[in-house]
Amino acid sequence: MANMQIKDLTKTYKNKVVLDHICFTVKDGEFLSILGSSGCGKTTLLRILIGIESCDSGQIFKDEIEITNLDTSKRQMGMVFQNYALFPNMNVLQNVMYALQLKIKNKEEAKKQSLEMLKIVHMEESIHKYPHELSGGQQQRVAIARALVLRPEVLLFDEPMSALDADNRLVLRKELKQIQKEFHTTMIYITHDQEEAFSLSDRVMVMHEGKIEQIDTPNVVYNKPASAYIKHFVTEHLKEKVSSIEKCTGIDL
Amino acid sequence: MMKKRTYVRFFLLLFLLCTIFYPLMRMVCKINWNDFSKLMSSLSFRKALGNSVLVTCLSTCLSVGIAYLLAYTIHRTNIKHKSFLKIVIPLPMLIPSISHGLGLMTLFGANGIFSRSLGFNIVGFPGVVIGSILYSFPVAFLILSDGFSYMDNTMYEVSKILGFSRWQTFKKVTFCYLKKPILSAIFAVFTLIFTDYGVPLAIGGKFNTLPVYLYKEVMGLLNFSSGTIISLFLLIPAFFSFLFDLLCKDYTTVSQKKYPLSKNKRRDRILTLVTYGILLFVFLILGSFVYYAFIDNIVLHPTFSLTHFSYVFENHLLTYLGNSLWISLLVSIFGTIISYLIAYFTARDGGHKGMHILAISSLAIPGMVLGLSYTVSFHNTYFYNTFLILVIVNIVHFMASAYLMAYNALKKLNSNYEGIAKVCHIGTIHLLKDVLIPNTKKTIREMFSYFFINAMITISAVAFLYNTKTMPLSILITNYEGNLMLAEAAIVSLILFIVNLVMKGIVSFLNRKEG
Repeated sequence: MANMQIKDLTKTYKNKVVLDHICFTVKDGEFLSILGSSGCGKTTLLRILIGIESCDSGQIFKDEIEITNLDTSKRQMGMVFQNYALFPNMNVLQNVMYALQLKIKNKEEAKKQSLEMLKIVHMEESIHKYPHELSGGQQQRVAIARALVLRPEVLLFDEPMSALDADNRLVLRKELKQIQKEFHTTMIYITHDQEEAFSLSDRVMVMHEGKIEQIDTPNVVYNKPASAYIKHFVTEHLKEKVSSIEKCTGIDL
Repeated sequence: MMKKRTYVRFFLLLFLLCTIFYPLMRMVCKINWNDFSKLMSSLSFRKALGNSVLVTCLSTCLSVGIAYLLAYTIHRTNIKHKSFLKIVIPLPMLIPSISHGLGLMTLFGANGIFSRSLGFNIVGFPGVVIGSILYSFPVAFLILSDGFSYMDNTMYEVSKILGFSRWQTFKKVTFCYLKKPILSAIFAVFTLIFTDYGVPLAIGGKFNTLPVYLYKEVMGLLNFSSGTIISLFLLIPAFFSFLFDLLCKDYTTVSQKKYPLSKNKRRDRILTLVTYGILLFVFLILGSFVYYAFIDNIVLHPTFSLTHFSYVFENHLLTYLGNSLWISLLVSIFGTIISYLIAYFTARDGGHKGMHILAISSLAIPGMVLGLSYTVSFHNTYFYNTFLILVIVNIVHFMASAYLMAYNALKKLNSNYEGIAKVCHIGTIHLLKDVLIPNTKKTIREMFSYFFINAMITISAVAFLYNTKTMPLSILITNYEGNLMLAEAAIVSLILFIVNLVMKGIVSFLNRKEG
């Protein structure tokens, strides 16, 4: 668990401003979703936060310590990718324990911890399977276990459910919420799915064209959208969904 | 770690600059431009140039045509034994081009087995055309076959729904997908034939082509300056072919739907007949080596004998075979490591465009030109008379294709592995050792065998660089051919074929075992 502070982050690609003076904070153990359409700069922001990419200017603090130029491996942060990025030549257990084993240099201990983690993500029965034998949802569970087993203080998600079907998303969403409660890990979650962002998060940050449009609780963003963009593309879309469910079920939501 | 990576990258870049860029620059700098006008006014040079262009244009059309027919047969008809055919069709690539020329000589040469009964021979222009087709069509076949296998059937379904005619479908769908492979095949084959001297040397007779002219200028007259100017001509098509590959975008898609084969017995029968007809002719040539190797006094009283074998073995065949194996193994090991590492930097480590272009630039340098540039640049150094120069020239000569194999395989792997490695504190060496290499094992084996087979059969790249101690086996073919000892040359070709077949067999066995 850690808090984060992002001050005035800017990034430009080939004269195009991708991140425009981004400032926000993430509290200890908070679940923050970053919502925006593709090309709004959210993935770049995430990659800069973890150190895979560098920013042009600005600062990143974790627990009040500046980490802007710190090596990725020393940031104690984890990341789950959209396309799982599991190693195809390793089975489920090997995928989860590989990095831990390199880190603690104790195979038995790494195996023990990995098995525990796989139990938490309900993959304990598939430890000898290879990635190609798993469904998308199962692969993403393994990827989450691989990130969690290293006990990151902050865990970042880059649209982890965008390749999954609707049923799998619902189940995994619930499990993710459960995991966060259990581990109290600070989580930053990128998505373009309004429903996902609003149902999972303590706060939602809406981005548009490299800028933050609004950052607040789902309730406030839903009821008091700060800009026309949010009203158009976020709240109205959700309201439509809500009213169609109300129509179908007859329940007043 | 960062520092180590920078050192390795710097070393690789230096290697590319020293082994490709430097010799070429040295060679161009040493040109005596007075020779240029002399050469241009020489009638024999102009004749050779005209012959080269004529032979190359005709052979390229026929070679790519045959390759297209074979690739079409494999991918679009219900011909039986497809996997067998896929193995057999590329087999002519396992022997040097000169061997194809010699094979034709034994059958259709001045005193050939068939020409005696037929009453005519094909020495000269027709021989060179046929010989050029024989060794170049498998190259075009592999390129086109690859193109066919990546075609997406959805487009055919769309054209059916839109009511396109067969011709429109071919124009709008097939050709659109195959444009790049067809043009690639044309460029590759054109370059190959234009720069080859094996076939015209063997069966050209008085029909001189540019590479033969170059070979004679350098080997016979030691006229390096003229040689260099001729080699600049040889560079032209290769350079355009290189530019084309660099600039042309591919239309193939990753997610493909397989093409459903329609039933058409007549088509299948005709194409089966044509395919086996072509293969029969090709293997007749290879078979003639076996016949020639075991027959003594072939013109007057053909009798079974092992005298040619004993002669070849008595004349240090095993020493030269040892040289070739030694060179090829070193080329395979170091060539694979170097090209794989370069591909790692260009495909996985954020671009390095300059390094990529340098690595594939050897595609634009014909073997003879490369060999000549090494001769011009290093002939006064200690390096010149060593195995090392033969190993390096081979690595550089064949690096581009092997590098592209590694580059494509590494590019296909998930692009987030490096991100994961950074986040999870997995070092580059661990990532290479435990993730990237295990997931590209098949490609690495293919690269290894590609280097090995080509290093075994190359003549052009090493023709100017060997000495009596370092001479590879393939050169022995030219020597025997020069002394009109066709049976002995056939034996050497046969041995090279067997060694390469074994290597191919080992690689496909290992790849199949893995599944």
